[in-house]
Amino acid sequence: MIKLPSEEKMTTPDANVEKEKGSLSRRGFLGLLGKGAACAGVLVGAGSAMGSPAAAGGKRGFQQNDEQYAESVNNPPKVPDYNWNDHQWAMGVDTDRCIGCLRCMEACKMENSVQMDAFHYRTWVERYVYLEGSNTAIVDSQADPKNIENTGSETKFRFDNRYRNVKVEKAFFVPKLCNQCEHPSCVQVCPTGATFKSKDGPVLIDTTYCIGCQYCVQACPYGARSFNESRGTVDKCNWCYHRITKGLNPACVEVCPTGTRIFGDRNDPESPISLFIRNNHVQVLKPEMGNAPNVFYKGTDKEVV
Amino acid sequence: MPKHIVRLLVLIAVVAIVAIAAKKILTADTFYQYGHYRGNAVAEIASKVPKLQGSASCQSCHKEVYAEWAVGIHRKSTKNGVVQGVVIKYGPNCEVCHTGPAGNHPSKEAMPLSVEDKVTTITHLEHKVHPANVPGRNLMLSPEDMRGICLNCHEKLEARPKEQRQVAVDSHSGKEPCTTCHNPHSPRVNFAALPRPPVDPNTGKAIPVSAVEAGKAGDANAGKSVAAACTACHGEAGVSVNPAWPNLAGQHANYLADSLRAFKSGVRKNDMMSPMAAGLSDADMRDVAAYFAKTSCSVTGGDKAKAGQGKAKAAAAGCAACHNAGGLRGTGAAGISASQASSGGYYQTPPMHDTGAAGISASQAWPNLAGQHAGYLASALKSFKDGSRNHAVMSSVANTLSDSDIDDLSAYYASVSCK
Repeated sequence: MIKLPSEEKMTTPDANVEKEKGSLSRRGFLGLLGKGAACAGVLVGAGSAMGSPAAAGGKRGFQQNDEQYAESVNNPPKVPDYNWNDHQWAMGVDTDRCIGCLRCMEACKMENSVQMDAFHYRTWVERYVYLEGSNTAIVDSQADPKNIENTGSETKFRFDNRYRNVKVEKAFFVPKLCNQCEHPSCVQVCPTGATFKSKDGPVLIDTTYCIGCQYCVQACPYGARSFNESRGTVDKCNWCYHRITKGLNPACVEVCPTGTRIFGDRNDPESPISLFIRNNHVQVLKPEMGNAPNVFYKGTDKEVV
Repeated sequence: MPKHIVRLLVLIAVVAIVAIAAKKILTADTFYQYGHYRGNAVAEIASKVPKLQGSASCQSCHKEVYAEWAVGIHRKSTKNGVVQGVVIKYGPNCEVCHTGPAGNHPSKEAMPLSVEDKVTTITHLEHKVHPANVPGRNLMLSPEDMRGICLNCHEKLEARPKEQRQVAVDSHSGKEPCTTCHNPHSPRVNFAALPRPPVDPNTGKAIPVSAVEAGKAGDANAGKSVAAACTACHGEAGVSVNPAWPNLAGQHANYLADSLRAFKSGVRKNDMMSPMAAGLSDADMRDVAAYFAKTSCSVTGGDKAKAGQGKAKAAAAGCAACHNAGGLRGTGAAGISASQASSGGYYQTPPMHDTGAAGISASQAWPNLAGQHAGYLASALKSFKDGSRNHAVMSSVANTLSDSDIDDLSAYYASVSCK
C-alpha cells in the first residue's frame, strides 16, 4: 500500500497499532462472514434441491422460486376454459413462403390497437436483397422512407418495386416478431415486474405496472419492443395472448395467406408447430445471445439476424 | 438507556413500520404469486376481446359472397384436388383483404351495407361488441383501393417466391382495374363468365346501368340529323356497305361515343374517321351514338366452317369474358346486354359453361361483336396486334392470336345473332 506523505505525517505510532489491530479483526470478521455465507448457501442449495420442481417432473419458470412454481401449477390464473399448465406455445416461420404482403402487420395493428404508422409495430417484415456480385444483403422494411413514399401513406404498408430494373442475385422476405425467449433479457431488466414470462410461453406486459423506462427496449437483442408514446408504455407481441387462450390463432397467423406462420402447442405432438419443427431443419435468430427463442425459422439466410 | 438512543430507536421503529405497512398496502395482492409480477395480470391480458373473427363469422351475414369465395382459388389454390405450389396453402380468408372487418366493421351509418337488413343488427358472435368505425378505414373504398389490395400480394417483386402468382402491372392490365376481369372473391378468370359490373363501393350492390348512364345519355332524335354525315359509309340503318367498315346498328352507345372521342383526341387514328370526329361536339357524339344504338342490327353472316373453330377459340382466348352476356351474373338471356340486366342478379352463382349471349358485351364501354362485319373485326384485331391501335387488354389478347385465329374469331362473331 502506498501512503501519501501527508498521511505519513499525520499518523502517530499509537494510531498505527490501533489500525493494525482493527484491520486484523476486520479481516477475521470478513472471513467469518464468508464462511457463514458459504454454509448458508449450502443449506439453501440443499433445501431447494430437495424441493426442486425437477423432482416433480415440471419446469420452473424464469426467475421463479419453488413456492411460486407450486402456486403456478396448483393455482393457475383464472382464465375461462384455459389452464396454462397444459400448453407450451411456439411459432414457426417458413420464410420460403413469405410474399411480403404485410397483411400480418396490418392485422396485428388492428387486433392489438398498435399505432397505425410504419414505425410502431409488434410484428414486421424485412426484405433481404443480394444484388448480383454482392455478398452483403440490402435490408429494408415497411418503415423504409421509399416504401412509405410508394404507398403515399404511413398507414398503408407495402414494399415498393425498387429492384425492378436491377439484377438481383437472390432476395427473400423474413417476417419478424417477439421471440418469446426462454431466458428473456427484457424480463431480467424490468425494474417493476411489468413484463414477465408466463408459464405457457409468451412474454407478457402488464401495462398497469409499466413505467415506460424502456430498459427492456434496449435489452431486447431482436428489436422486438417499441414504445407507445400515447399510452406511455412499452408494447410488444404477445402472440395475441387473448386469442390463444380462447383457442384462436394469433391474428398474424390467422391472416397469413400463404401459411408462412405456423403456430401451435408443443405439448401436442401433432400440432402444426410440432410437425413443423419435426419435419424441417429449423433455426432460431441470434442463438449466441443465449435467449433461447421460441420462434423457429426455416429457410433463413446467414445474414438474417 | 439514554434518552436520545431511545428516540433514535423509536424513530427507526416507526420508519420500519411505515415502510412495511406501505409495502403491504401498495403491493398488489397477487404480485409475488407466480413470480416477480402481478399474477392477476395474466387473466387480465387474456380477457381482452378478439377482434378478428375469421371467415365463418362473415358467412353468417354475407352468405352470397362467402359462397363465391368458398369455391374459388382464394379459398384454396388447388388444381385437380392437389394443392398447387408452396405458397397458397390456406388461401386468404376475408380479413386478409377486408382488414379487420369484425374489429373495424363499419357502423350502419358509415356504410349502409343493408344488402339485407340483418346486417344492421349484427352482433358478432357472443361478444356483443360492435366497435365504432374508424374514419378512413372502411372496407373497400374505391376501385383504386381494390387495385392496391390486389397488388399487396400480386405485384411482381424480386423477393417474392416464384410460386406466388405475380403480374407486372403495366403490361398486364394497364390502367384497367383488376376487377374488370377478376372477381376478387374468386379471382381465377372464368372465360365463360362476365366481368363484374360496376359496383357501388358503399353498398356492394351492382349499380343499375340507368344510373350510370343517366347523366350522359344522348338524344336519339337529335342524333338523326348528325347521323346524316355517317350514313354514306355506315348505312342508313347503321349497317355499312363495305365489310371493311363497322356496322353501328345496335352498338352500345357508350362505346360509340368513346370511339368518336378517341378519334377526335387522336388516341385512335383513321384517315376517314379522324376528320369526321374532329367536327363533332361532345353532345353531338352522344346523340349520334344514341341514334345508332337504337337502330336494329342485321346478321351479316360469316364463313360457317371458320365460325365453328372461332367459337372454341373465343372461349379459350378469353374473348367471351368481356364480349359475351350472361356469365357471372347468370342472366344469360339471348340478346340482353348483361349490363342492362345488371342490378339484382349480381350475386347469383356463375354458371360455368353458359356463355350467355355471344358477342353482346357486358359493359356499355365495350363493343358488341355479334353481327359485325368479319372483315372489320379481323382488321381491328390485326391493328391491335401490330400496335397501330392500343388497349391494355385487347393488345395483350391480340398478341396471343395467330392470323388464322383472327379469321376464325371474326367469322364466328360475324355469324352469331345480334338480336
